[in-house]
Amino acid sequence: MLSRVVLSAAATAAPSLKNAAFLGPGVLQATRTFHTGQPHLVPVPPLPEYGGKVRYGLIPEEFFQFLYPKTGPYVLGTGLILYALSKEIYVISAETFTALSVLGVMVYGIKKYGPFVADFADKLNEQKLAQLEEAKQASIQHIQNAIDTEKSQQALVQKRHYLFDVQRNNIAMALEVTYRERLYRVYKEVKNRLDYHISVQNMMRRKEQEHMINWVEKHVVQSISTQQEKETIAKCIADLKLLAKKAQAQPVM
Amino acid sequence: MNENLFASFIAPTILGLPAAVLIILFPPLLIPTSKYLINNRLITTQQWLIKLTSKQMMTMHNTKGRTWSLMLVSLIIFIATTNLLGLLPHSFTPTTQLSMNLAMAIPLWAGAVIMGFRSKIKNALAHFLPQGTPTPLIPMLVIIETISLLIQPMALAVRLTANITAGHLLMHLIGSATLAMSTINLPPTLIIFTILILLTILEIAVALIQAYVFTLLVSLYLHDNT
Repeated sequence: MLSRVVLSAAATAAPSLKNAAFLGPGVLQATRTFHTGQPHLVPVPPLPEYGGKVRYGLIPEEFFQFLYPKTGPYVLGTGLILYALSKEIYVISAETFTALSVLGVMVYGIKKYGPFVADFADKLNEQKLAQLEEAKQASIQHIQNAIDTEKSQQALVQKRHYLFDVQRNNIAMALEVTYRERLYRVYKEVKNRLDYHISVQNMMRRKEQEHMINWVEKHVVQSISTQQEKETIAKCIADLKLLAKKAQAQPVM
Repeated sequence: MNENLFASFIAPTILGLPAAVLIILFPPLLIPTSKYLINNRLITTQQWLIKLTSKQMMTMHNTKGRTWSLMLVSLIIFIATTNLLGLLPHSFTPTTQLSMNLAMAIPLWAGAVIMGFRSKIKNALAHFLPQGTPTPLIPMLVIIETISLLIQPMALAVRLTANITAGHLLMHLIGSATLAMSTINLPPTLIIFTILILLTILEIAVALIQAYVFTLLVSLYLHDNT
């Protein structure tokens, strides 16, 4: 504190040092060092699980054990109380009844609601532990799942050749299909060309036949003289007349 | 028998030294802290209670009001433990002394009001005039509202003092009545029963903490954060 006074005095004496006054507390605290020495109580020592045993809620059990070789503790207690009462060291006054009622209400309350409160506190602690346990279990489960996934992935890697076989088969089939397609196309093209040639030949034959027929007809027609024509026509008419007579003879249906 | 009825309210001294300081400093010994997560039952129940009350009290404040949460929670715990410890026989309750209650009430109230006046002057001044008053009544109403504002810390302190003192006095009186009756042997059981009932009602001294912190809290809230 005196150093602060000195600093403020210096600030008023020399105004240029006024800004240095702000460094005052920092300079003070810089002389304090932290985190020196060994850290004790690391790791933190565990707590005992149950408290010491107590009789009547007040007097520890060790007191009774200590007294038993020498004198009876109950006799000692009764003697002390009677001594205090009879010698008026403890005076029975208005406060006595107040004390009796307060203690009576307290004992009644503790006896009645004590186990309930104890169970409640235990339940609170158990909830905390259960939460942490669940977090731990969830973390373990998560890691276990990750391990299982990794293992299955590794197993999959062993079976990768099936995939490759299937792919290979697919590609072979695709190749086969394209090959067949092209073969078929080639076949069709060739057949096309050959059909063309055949149809050309057929057409030529037909043309030649027609030409021959025309030529033959023409010559035959030319060769039929007019005399023969007249004779044949007269014969046809005579045949037709005969047929007509035969036909008229039958009844018309 | 004590000299008079009010002997239990004298600030106790040990050889002229004030023991009241020691008595005021005693209750924190009953609320242990712990650096473990899982504690014994005492610490667990106390922590649960503190968590419950602080949550209950602090939900209605905004961020600025919640900076007071440590103050208010320690206030309620102090008053509760002090009042409950005063129920034990031959004990001294510091909250029966008006000086101590005034020392608690005035700074807290003044801090709240000044905070409200510093940040929102218009809002704080607007509390002096309720809405919808007819015009001729305004001057009188402003005076009345000012008086009611200025009387708040006194009311807080005197309320607490009077309640606790009255309770203790009553217990002492009924105790002495029982004492007198026990020699005459009228049915003293009836009177002892009244002591018991009075005692359980007196354990609503704990409700006074509620009243104290609650009213303080309400005034804080209304002043600053609306």
